Amino acid sequence: MRDISFAVAQGEVFGLLGPNGAGKSTTVGMLTTTVRPTAGTARLMGHDVAADPLAARSVSAVVFQEPTVDGALTGRRNLEIHARLWGVDPTTSSTAIDDVLDSFGLADLASRTVESYSGGQRRRLEIARALVSAPEVLFLDEPTVGLDPRIRFELLDLIAGLRARAETTVVLTTHYLDEAERLCDRVAIVHEGRIVALDAPTKLLAGMGANLVELRVDGDASRALRKLRARGLAGDDAFAVGATLTVPVHDRSARQAVAAIAELDIATGAISARPPTLDDVYLRLTGDRLAA
Amino acid sequence: MTAITTAPPTPSPLVLRRPAARSIVAPLATLTRRRFALSAHTPREIVVPLMTPILFSVVIAPALAKVTGAIHGIDYMSFVAIGTVGLLVPLNCMFAGIGVIVDRQSGARRDLLAAPVPRSLIVFGNLAVALSISAFQVVALFVAAVLRGAQFDARPTGVVFFAAAAVLLAVAMYGGAEILANRISKQEEYIGAVPAIAIVPWFFAGSLFPISALPTFLGAFAKVLPLTHALAVMRYGLLDGRATGLHDIWGMTNATAMAALSLLVVAAYAALLLSLSVRVFSRAAVK
Repeated sequence: MRDISFAVAQGEVFGLLGPNGAGKSTTVGMLTTTVRPTAGTARLMGHDVAADPLAARSVSAVVFQEPTVDGALTGRRNLEIHARLWGVDPTTSSTAIDDVLDSFGLADLASRTVESYSGGQRRRLEIARALVSAPEVLFLDEPTVGLDPRIRFELLDLIAGLRARAETTVVLTTHYLDEAERLCDRVAIVHEGRIVALDAPTKLLAGMGANLVELRVDGDASRALRKLRARGLAGDDAFAVGATLTVPVHDRSARQAVAAIAELDIATGAISARPPTLDDVYLRLTGDRLAA
Repeated sequence: MTAITTAPPTPSPLVLRRPAARSIVAPLATLTRRRFALSAHTPREIVVPLMTPILFSVVIAPALAKVTGAIHGIDYMSFVAIGTVGLLVPLNCMFAGIGVIVDRQSGARRDLLAAPVPRSLIVFGNLAVALSISAFQVVALFVAAVLRGAQFDARPTGVVFFAAAAVLLAVAMYGGAEILANRISKQEEYIGAVPAIAIVPWFFAGSLFPISALPTFLGAFAKVLPLTHALAVMRYGLLDGRATGLHDIWGMTNATAMAALSLLVVAAYAALLLSLSVRVFSRAAVK
C-alpha cells in the first residue's frame, strides 16, 4: 500500500473495490493486525492497531477470503470458541449463538461437523461467527469469492441485512462491481496500492453521466477522440483505452449521441450505449478494467 | 492518475473504550479444549506414535533382554522400557506439529490470530495438549511394559525426577515441532523431517545401551542431546538408583547433583525451544 488514507464513519458500510492484487486484503490485514505495516498509522474505534493490537482486535471481527473454520468441529463449537476468545459473557453467549444461527439459517446444521457443510453454508457460518462477538467493526474480505451465483446472491442478501445493525461498521473488500454498488455507502477504488477514487457509488457513477457510448474504432482512437471533442460530442471525461472510446453522455439522450457519432467520418467496428458502471469509473482513472 | 476523494460522513464523537483486562486462563483453556477436540477427531495422531514404542517395549526389548541379560545390573527390558519413552515423547510431539500445519492450511488459525488474546496462547494451548497426550501415552507404555515383566522402583522422589524430565523433554520437543511446523510449508515435507528429529537422536542418547558404549566422539555428541540427559534422569528416578547413566554424562558421584544438572540442561533446551517457537509462530502469523 502506498500513502492511502481514509476514514470510515460508525455504522457505515465501506467498500474497498479493486482487482486482485490491488492491495485490498493487505489493507484489511493491517487493520486486523495480521499484516505488519511498515509505516503510517491506523486506528480502529480509536485504538492504534500497531501500538495496541489487542484493543483493536477486541472491537473487530473478520471474515477472511479463504475458508477459516475448523472443519472437524461442529458449527456451534466453532462459534463457541470464537465467543470465548472474544470474551463474550458465557451466560449470554449461548443465546447470542442461537440468535445468529437462526438469523443465518444454520440452526439445523449447528450440531454437524463443518466438513459436511456446503461452501455457502460455511461462508454463512463464518459471517455468523464474526457476529457472535457483536463487533463494532466487521471486516468482510471478498466474502463471496468462489461461490456459485445462486449462493452468492443469497449471501449478498445476508450481508445487506447487516446494514440493519446500525451499530456495526462494515469494511467490505470486493472486486465485484455489483456488490460494491449494492452494499456500500461509500467505495474506495484501489489500484496498485493507492486509492484512486472515494465516494458514494451513486456519486461516482453520476460523474460518468446517465449513459455512455462505447465505440470500437478502426484506427487511431486518440485521433477519433479529438474529433468527437472538436464536434462537442465528447467532453473531458471521455477517454480512450486501446481501440475503445468511452464517451459519457451528459446533455442528450444515448440514442441521439449514437446517431450523432454515427454521422461522423469515424470508422467504427461497433458502437453501443449503456448506463455506466463502477468499472467505467475505474477504467477512466486507471486505464484498466476491474471486471474480467 | 486522478484521485477523487470526498470527506467521510461526519463521524460521531468517538469514546475510546478500553477493553476490560482479561485473564489469560479462560482463553488458554478455550484454545486447549479446541486442540483436544481436533486431536480427538484424528486419533491417528495419538495412536501412530504409540505403536513403535509399544512394539519395542513389549516385543523387541524382551527378546533382546534374553540375549543381553542386564546392563549395570538393571534388567534390560526395564532399561529399554524407559529408553522407549525417549522415542515416544519426541514422536508424539512431532506428530502434534502436524496439527499446526493443518490449522494453517485448512483450519481456523487466521480467526484465532484475529482474536483479542496474546498469540502465544495458541502455542501454549497446543503444548498443553501435546503434554497431556504424551502423559497418556507414557502411562500406556508403562502399563504394557509392566504387564510384559518390566520392573520399576517408583518412590515419590524418583517419580518426581522422572515426571520432571519427561515434561521438560516434551516441552523441548514440542517447541522444536512448532518451530519446524511454522517454517515448513507442506505436511509431506514436515513428515519427512520427523525421523531426523524424533528418531535419529534416540539411537545416540543411551536409549538402548549406555552412552559409555559409544565411541568417544559419539559419546561427546550424545552428551549435548537433551534426550540423553532426560533419559538418564528418568532412569535415575524409576530404575537406576546408582545413577550410572548420569555418571556416564557427568562423571561425578553425587547422584542428586548430577540429576539436577541434567534436569537443568533439559530445562534450558525446553526454555530455549519454547521461547523460539513462540517467536517463530508470532513472526509466521504476521506477514
